[in-house]
Formats: sequence, C-alpha cells, structure tokens
Amino acid sequence: MIDALFNQTGYQATKRLLDATVLRQEAIAANLANVETPGYKRVDVASDFTTALKQAVSSGDAGQISSLRPQITTDQTAVAANRDGNTVQMESELLAMNQNSLAHAVETQLITGHMLKLRLAITGRPQ
Amino acid sequence: MIPLLSGINSTSAALQAERVRMDVVSQNIANANTSRAADGKPYRRQQVVFESELNRAMTSGPSAAAQSVKVARIETDNRPAKLIYEPGHPDANAQGMVAIPDINIHEEMVDLIASSRAFEANLAVIKNARTMALQTLAIGKR
Repeated sequence: MIDALFNQTGYQATKRLLDATVLRQEAIAANLANVETPGYKRVDVASDFTTALKQAVSSGDAGQISSLRPQITTDQTAVAANRDGNTVQMESELLAMNQNSLAHAVETQLITGHMLKLRLAITGRPQ
Repeated sequence: MIPLLSGINSTSAALQAERVRMDVVSQNIANANTSRAADGKPYRRQQVVFESELNRAMTSGPSAAAQSVKVARIETDNRPAKLIYEPGHPDANAQGMVAIPDINIHEEMVDLIASSRAFEANLAVIKNARTMALQTLAIGKR
C-alpha cells in the first residue's frame, strides 16, 4: 500500500509535533490577545500530549502515534501576577512564541527532509 | 475553515480592542479641561472594559478553548469633578469656581503605554504566524 510510504514512526511523530506547535501558536495568540483582560486564565496545549507522544514513540506503533490529538486547555499551574486575576505574563508568552517558531522551523525541515529522502529513494537521483 | 495564520482571530480582535482603548484614552486627555461637555456638565472620564469571548468560528475542535477578546463596554468613571478658582470663566459659579474633570494625565499616559505595548505584542504574534505559514508552505521544497 502507498500508506506504508508515510508510516514510519519518526515521520508520524513529527507530524503530530507540528500539529501541536501550530496549536500552541494559537494558544499563545489567545493569551496575548487577553493580556489586559481581568480574570483571564492562560491556555496552553495540554501537557499530557508530550508524555503520550513519548509513550507512543517508544512503543513504535505508528497507528498509536497518528491517533494522538493535541488539545488546548486552561493552564491550571499558572498563577496571577497581580490582583486582577489574569495569569498571562507578556514576556514569557513572547519567549514561548519565539521558541515555538523555532520548533516549527525544525519540524517543517524534518518533514521536508523525510520527503526528499523518499523522493531520492524513488527516483534514484537527488533533486 | 482553518486559517493559514494560526490564532489570527484572537489577534485581530485584540488589535481592534486595543485601538478602541487608545481612542478612549486620547479622548480623556483631549477633554482634560472640558468644563462643558455635550450634556452641559463637565466631561467625565471614560474607561474601557475588556472581556474574553470564545471564538465564534471555532466552537469545537482542539482549539475551542482559545479565547478572543472584545470591548465589553465603555464605562463612565464616577469620580467627582474638581473645582478650580477661575472667576473670569464663563462656566464659573457664584464663588468663581469652575468644575473640570478630575483627569490625571499621568494615569492616562500609563494606560496609553500599556495599550501600545499590548498592541505591539499582538503585532509580533502576526509576524510570527506569518513566518510559520511561510515555513509550512515551503514543506517539500529544498
């Protein structure tokens, strides 16, 4: 089947990581949008995603990896820095955003690398 | 539809809300000495109240918890007007006192700076989302 081409665990894991990275960008955008909203609680990609991904990767089951779905949830560990109850800190959000952007660059490169390798294997010549 | 720029719904709403806030602050500064507003009384300080709201476009799915922001209402500050002595003023009372709004210019400037910082942060998000979108579009190219 043609599915087998894209069924390596590394490729599947990178895809899921990329999903999580894009979702994280969305969470950070929401946090920075609400940086001045009283009582707002910051959101992030659910932390159990990374542990689930680690487990799935170590099990080596591509199906298990591709069934993972990252999700945005309220960050329960964040504490409010001032009395309006808002748990967003602009500096740490901007830092997280830049880290996230780098992670995104790495993940897209990994996927590209994988595809180019496949193409090389199929055509027998580097493009 | 999933937007190419992730998080753009929240960010654009925030830019709009911050803009409203800046408008209100500049209105307060402009009217710091207005003894007769449209209703004939001294101008009263206005204040913007922000509220988070769920994105209408995404009520389900993994990013359903990501909230956007909107201006809930613009409130009138109820601090009393301050009286200054200016007998020649057309709005002066029998004792020569004129009621002008109790607007602290420093307070307004701090609000303005906070607002423009938040605006900048949201612009940074757009820039970042754009970079990510370009990287995504370059998948498969060397």
